[in-house]
Amino acid sequence: MRFLRQLLLSVLALASLALARSSTGDSVLILLDPSLKKEDFSVFFGDLEKKGYQLTFRSPKDATPEIIKDDVSQFAHVVVFAPNTKSFAADVTPQSLVSLLSKNTNLLLALSPKQTPLSSLASEFSLILPPPGTPLVSHFPKRDTPPTVIPVDVPATHDIISPNLPPVWFSGVPQALGNNPMLVPILKAPPQAFASDADSDKGADALVEAADKSGEGLWAGSSLSLVTGFQALSNARATWLGGVELFSDDFINKEISKGVKSGNRRFASDVAAWTFQESHVLRIDSVEHHRVNETLPRETYTINDRVTYTTYISKYNPELDLWEPYSGIKDMQLEFTMLDPHIRTSLPPIAGEPGKYSVTFRVPDRHGVFKFVNDYKRKGWTYLTSSTVVPVVPPRHDEYPRFLSAAWPYYAGAFSTSAAFVLFVTLWLAGDDREPKKSKGAKAE
Amino acid sequence: MPATKTAPPAKTAGSSQSPISSLWKAYYDNTSTRLKTIDAFLVYLMLSGIIQFLYCILVTNFPFNAFLAGFASCVGQFVLAASLRAQVNPANRKEFKEVSPERAFAEFALGSIVLHFFVYNFLG
Repeated sequence: MRFLRQLLLSVLALASLALARSSTGDSVLILLDPSLKKEDFSVFFGDLEKKGYQLTFRSPKDATPEIIKDDVSQFAHVVVFAPNTKSFAADVTPQSLVSLLSKNTNLLLALSPKQTPLSSLASEFSLILPPPGTPLVSHFPKRDTPPTVIPVDVPATHDIISPNLPPVWFSGVPQALGNNPMLVPILKAPPQAFASDADSDKGADALVEAADKSGEGLWAGSSLSLVTGFQALSNARATWLGGVELFSDDFINKEISKGVKSGNRRFASDVAAWTFQESHVLRIDSVEHHRVNETLPRETYTINDRVTYTTYISKYNPELDLWEPYSGIKDMQLEFTMLDPHIRTSLPPIAGEPGKYSVTFRVPDRHGVFKFVNDYKRKGWTYLTSSTVVPVVPPRHDEYPRFLSAAWPYYAGAFSTSAAFVLFVTLWLAGDDREPKKSKGAKAE
Repeated sequence: MPATKTAPPAKTAGSSQSPISSLWKAYYDNTSTRLKTIDAFLVYLMLSGIIQFLYCILVTNFPFNAFLAGFASCVGQFVLAASLRAQVNPANRKEFKEVSPERAFAEFALGSIVLHFFVYNFLG
């Protein structure tokens, strides 16, 4: 059975662009700018449909289909490719897009050098955009395309992107990353790139000044991010693209070098897979706690008990559309907390049992209401949080040790006194009173 | 003046032995068996109490209730046995006219049983 499953998996992996399902739903709404043509993105949308998504197209200024109706999100994922739209329809506002995240809807948003309503929304995600009208420009490497069309190397090993992709073509705005731990940078700008006016390097002086001022206002270098992911606390994902052309047919079919196609197609597919909750999706299946030699949880634990905590984690397999036990988390921690963590210990995977993580520890010497807290947040992976409240009570009157070893002299003393008393009574009653012999001797004389 | 040998000749009865052993011999010969039994009981109780007290001071008084129970057992039993000895001694017949030896013993036994009940309750 296991061999058949492996065979099936490998066959499917060969055709992995096909049949990869999202764990949260298949309906995708695409807000496509009227200036852009659907056919210009046929490869990307075709790949999405092959994976099994249902695509619905709409212009940003149309009123229907609404993204939120009666406070319920109508689609599982929303893609906004609207670089030239100055205003959206009434239901698409920055506030409604943000509320989609709390309704577990994923977003794929494209920015542009022009000022759109999304530019102000980006700052809510701790992304700092350059001034309007300053796309990314790079004069290296020497190539035929204009300076704003830049080949960007994809890192050879990356969590979200497939390994060893050829460079991707990019055209658009860079984003500077704020100090937010929920940001997941996916593609960084090349070190020679900078943000400037497109046609001439008029802004070069400004760049030199900024570089002299130790980097203030400097829009250059590989600290800029071109494609940035964001995972909200509700585990909904929003990805910001520096420009729509990244996913267009032109760039997908453009050659990076002689005979080598660009990596845009695979890159687009991977970014969509992460954003639409296909890859890097975990969940906690169940949580158990019990005393070491028992199997059922207790309502309360006693101080200094030895307690075992077990959790089962699954990872979503997009090819098979099912959740499989996952033992690959090496750094999960458990906290046993009452206002402050009294115990913080690692929760290692158990060898031989896939998906099971377990630890045994001694309950601290304090009584009170404690929580088992499992708070696992890593960039790119679903946030795992679990909190189980359990009271801890001091020992009952009959749970203390019955006889204390420090008191045995006193036990011996009390028992020996009783034994001596019994012996004395026996001797007293067995014998009778004998006077000393002197009176008898006097009489005999 | 006639020379009176007033100085009596020194008693040679105990001069070859120490005062302690003569004391012991006098005690041993002149005390009835019953009283000697009580005295042995009293000595044992005293030793037991001393041992418990030394343990409490030198090692630990941790289960203090246990110390009190064990020590009170020895002391209380000692007091009861001493009062039994006082009442039963024929030399004290004048003070204890209305208490017969049997009654004294019965009171001693009853008191001891009550004492032991309290001791085991407090011993923990």
